[in-house]
Amino acid sequence: MDGAPESLIPVLSFLEGPLSTALTTFNKIPGSAVILRYVKSSHQNDPGRTILELLLLIFAIRTLLQSRTRADRNGSHYIQFSEKEVDELVEEWTPEPLAAPLTPAEQSDLAAVPIIAGPNGPRPKLVSTGKTATNLASFNFSGLSSNEHIKQRAVEILRKYGLGSCGPPGFYGTLDVHMDLENDIADFLGTEAAILYSQGFSTVSSVIPAFSKRGDIIVADRAVNFAIQKGIEISRSTVRWYDHNDLGSLEEVLISIEKDRKRRRGPLTRRFIITEGIFSKDGAMVDLPKLIELKLKYKYRLILDETYSFGSVGRTGRGLTELYNVPASKVDMILGSCAVGLNSCGGFCAGSQIVVDHQRINGPSFVFSASMPALLAVSASEGINIIRNTPSIFECLQTNVHAARAILDKLDCILIPSHPVSPVIHIYVRTTDPVPPSSAKFNLTFASPKDTLRLNEFDVEERLLQEVVEDCLAQGVILTRAKRLKGQEMVEPKPSIRLALSSALTKKETEKAVSVLRNSLVKTFGRRR
Amino acid sequence: MPLASPLPSPMALNRPQQSPSIFKKRSASGLGSGSPLPSSAASYLSALSQADARARSVSPTSTPALSLSSSVTSSSEDTILHEEEEDALMNSNADGLLLPTRPPNSAQVFSTVHTEFGHCANDKYRTTSQHKLGTPLPTHVEQDPPYYILLSTYVSYLILICLGHVRDFVGKRLSPSSYQHLMPQHGYAPLNSDFDSFYTRRLKTRMDECFSQPVTGVAGRTIMLLDRTSPDYNHTQLFTGTRTRALNISSYNYLGFAQARGGCADAVEESIKRYGISSLGARLEGGGTDLHNMGEALVANFTGMEDALICSMGFATNSTIIPALVSKGCLVISDELNHASIRFGTRISGASVRMFKHNNMKSLESLLKEVISQGQPKTHRPWKKILVVVEGLYSMEGTLVNLPGVLELKKKYKFYLFVDEAHSIGAIGPRGRGVADYFGVNPRSIDILMGTFTKSFGAAGGYIAGSKTIIDHLRVNGHSGAYAESMTPSVLTQVVASMASIMGVAPPDVPSKEIVHPGPVASASLPQWINLPLNLASGEEGTSRLRRLAFNCRYLHSGLIKLGFITYGHPASPIVPLLLFNPGKMNMFHKMMKQRQTPIVVVVVAYPATPLVTSRVRFCVSAAHTKEDIDTVLRACDEIGDVLDLKHGSVRGKDRWNVEQVIARAAELGSNDD
Repeated sequence: MDGAPESLIPVLSFLEGPLSTALTTFNKIPGSAVILRYVKSSHQNDPGRTILELLLLIFAIRTLLQSRTRADRNGSHYIQFSEKEVDELVEEWTPEPLAAPLTPAEQSDLAAVPIIAGPNGPRPKLVSTGKTATNLASFNFSGLSSNEHIKQRAVEILRKYGLGSCGPPGFYGTLDVHMDLENDIADFLGTEAAILYSQGFSTVSSVIPAFSKRGDIIVADRAVNFAIQKGIEISRSTVRWYDHNDLGSLEEVLISIEKDRKRRRGPLTRRFIITEGIFSKDGAMVDLPKLIELKLKYKYRLILDETYSFGSVGRTGRGLTELYNVPASKVDMILGSCAVGLNSCGGFCAGSQIVVDHQRINGPSFVFSASMPALLAVSASEGINIIRNTPSIFECLQTNVHAARAILDKLDCILIPSHPVSPVIHIYVRTTDPVPPSSAKFNLTFASPKDTLRLNEFDVEERLLQEVVEDCLAQGVILTRAKRLKGQEMVEPKPSIRLALSSALTKKETEKAVSVLRNSLVKTFGRRR
Repeated sequence: MPLASPLPSPMALNRPQQSPSIFKKRSASGLGSGSPLPSSAASYLSALSQADARARSVSPTSTPALSLSSSVTSSSEDTILHEEEEDALMNSNADGLLLPTRPPNSAQVFSTVHTEFGHCANDKYRTTSQHKLGTPLPTHVEQDPPYYILLSTYVSYLILICLGHVRDFVGKRLSPSSYQHLMPQHGYAPLNSDFDSFYTRRLKTRMDECFSQPVTGVAGRTIMLLDRTSPDYNHTQLFTGTRTRALNISSYNYLGFAQARGGCADAVEESIKRYGISSLGARLEGGGTDLHNMGEALVANFTGMEDALICSMGFATNSTIIPALVSKGCLVISDELNHASIRFGTRISGASVRMFKHNNMKSLESLLKEVISQGQPKTHRPWKKILVVVEGLYSMEGTLVNLPGVLELKKKYKFYLFVDEAHSIGAIGPRGRGVADYFGVNPRSIDILMGTFTKSFGAAGGYIAGSKTIIDHLRVNGHSGAYAESMTPSVLTQVVASMASIMGVAPPDVPSKEIVHPGPVASASLPQWINLPLNLASGEEGTSRLRRLAFNCRYLHSGLIKLGFITYGHPASPIVPLLLFNPGKMNMFHKMMKQRQTPIVVVVVAYPATPLVTSRVRFCVSAAHTKEDIDTVLRACDEIGDVLDLKHGSVRGKDRWNVEQVIARAAELGSNDD
């Protein structure tokens, strides 16, 4: 019995040295006495607490040391393999090809894309034929593309600023001309401030995740454009969809969310309604006053994508807010494209100062991307200057829209879902019995990606429409089908021909070109019947 | 070519008077930022460095600035200086930015404007950017600073966080109105939550003067700052109306193609006249022109791939193309330091993501073994495909990818390789063709090369290069083809012209079939109306730029190390990060650099762009910098490094040189021999 403690003596004496040095160093640390006193007294008062605190400390250390890789090796699904087995599995694994070759249909589609030789505009020259053609495909609503004054200003700016800005806005990429354009846009629309993005398409998919986070609620139209879909996806917010351009359905959704929230007594989260001014999928237009009424009633913030309505509708092209005479400040975020509306490049988000400042730090494609070239920013500024002072541009555009619609609306074989004033006109093939466009239901023009029967039908329509496009091209009118990413969209829209009218064409030219289209449509679909 | 409206001379506006006392408050002088100094210690340091600068300066003559301004401007436009003006000019050129410190002799003719692209004729200051075959890639060693630096850094953040919370606590009670935007009001949740914005409000705001500095003019060798001041601790920034010309070692202008003069700018002007501003629409919907096709063919030729695709925005190139390559059931293996655009793209692709340690081939290999043997989570089905995404040159670290190592693994593990060359294309390699060129490997052994035109080419946008099958697939399935606006003609022309200048244009009688990668470009594949001047078309200027950049990179990098600083990255990288650690030093470093005799603008980056401790200043070297400019930066770093206690590198004792030694032995430091 005595032997054991005796044999421990050398061990104890060996431990004593380091222990005493540890103790003295601990005592040397300023404040150590306080800690010691605290531990002693707390232990005296409540020994259980010491154990609890010790456990907490161990837990904290364990958490810190744990590996942070996602799929942990100790998980229940992890299978232990020997080195040899791993090698065999590696040997066996054959990946799919990175990209499948194009199908013949896709190939011919790609080959049929018109390529412009020289400047694009209302009457460009085609590479394929070497002849000029009337352009009803490119976005040139206000006809700024051929403006000599803008070109001259662009050259001046080139000689002062060079081309690229060579840096993101945070790091010496903010030029005075960018700030000027931001002010011009804000002033033009009547908002407090605006922020520039360097690509129109990436604007909305960056704005949405900057504000809406996990747990926030997004209510969006079922047929919003691809960029909005991606923005919603990356925000990881809770999303509820309402029927395409049906504000009644929107209200139902808003009511049901409110009920849900009351039932669950959840915290107040950010809530957004996201929709488009003129929809890129079919040219329909949202009833803005009604929408604002709903948004105010249910206390949502409105993100309105005006890519195709900014610079195209309203007396001076200010977009939906001007068309419906609603103050822009009622819309929380107005998004537009300088590329589409002002024939330059980039996009913007206009809103209150807080909204804009927030994006300067949190908008991924603002923060991580180089700013827009100076000469393009100035071109956009000049564009705003011109359209705000020349209302005749939009009168002329509307005349053309009316002229085109007058011809197309008479046709029985097609269906036009677009709003009567929209310069973007989509043309569907009418397949079922004639239905007035106003009551065109969502499921008539959109199919779920799994509905193979409808998709096959769509394929047939698409081929016929492509025939029309090519027929018109042969007759000197450039048209395009609305191009979509098949299989990647949330809902597959019905195939359509998309016209983009321009004020740079006269009424006569527009009528002539649209007549070519009408004849071709009649010929193709007449033959089919 | 004279300017239509010449810029007002920077010198005239910069320094209206020299204040007699260095401690005198510089309220409206327009020097530096002019914002209230953070503390008395900081103002003392700043004044110390100022006094230093003054003592070094050429006798501060009160220059009759306005009368001189016109002559300065006009001569800086001219290519050759007038001898008789030299003396007068040298006086006003005290900061060395407007005119070369060493006047050129009659044999040297410079075609660039010195403020945009520096004049440097000395052939000693040239190097080739090339990896020595057979030698291993130097591993990235993260040097640790002394413990007191680490400790004080953590303590700094702790103090900042505690102070921030105290201010929030008190502020919410005493002035609720200034917190209104963080509180729910009228039934709306706040746009920005109190917690989410804490870092921005309480930490970043303190150093806001380092960020988003508005500028004007060309982002070339020098840059013109629009001076601003903040009356309320950075909550608002007001413009003073003055401007300061500063040495620009911050823009991604690696090859110096950010120019308002010269062959490329001339070509762009011609393109605006011919093509207008915009190409009106998406590529697949009537927005594609012959210029786009030419540009894509040229990019394919430049990168050595079969085909290429051009996208109008660099960020969007990754964020819209990656989802077209991988989907659910695929795996993306991503370097932990990959750029936000890659993460954005993979997140919306629906593919699974795993990360490996930065540039660590062992970590990558063990991860590959694990994921291939385990298959997809839960189901254990084999992955459809595995895409490894790496960057050629990492923008925050300056490290080069271990391409030979990755390619070795690629052979065994059959993954697809995506190399993001946003920073490395044009800047790395003996012919500027990126990392594949640098390491001397066949670019076609990489599946996808992505890059941007923002950096080396002085343009905007990005590209994807690969096999014809892949690129055609992306043309149809990538988001940008159908929905995004196509690249504008002016930007395309800048890309074509600068790229052709790097490659050189083959004489018209050489048939294009005889030219092999990486050779010059056939003149038939350029638009007929682009007439590059002889020095650009011969590729001489391009080669010289590549060699100047390579020298400047190595010189600055080795110079800083020899001075005793801790730097990161590969010596061939034009991105040179210098470690600062303490958050407070970032602000000071930035300010002291800007307030020197020769103002220098720098980029400081901190958490969340870097790990919490390793705050850094990031230099972006350009071919536009002369050796003297790098000397200036080294001198500035040396002095400020002493004041701010930054020299903690592993180079000590006899190996550590003083700044004069470094400058005298520049040619040795800048060579590729070490």
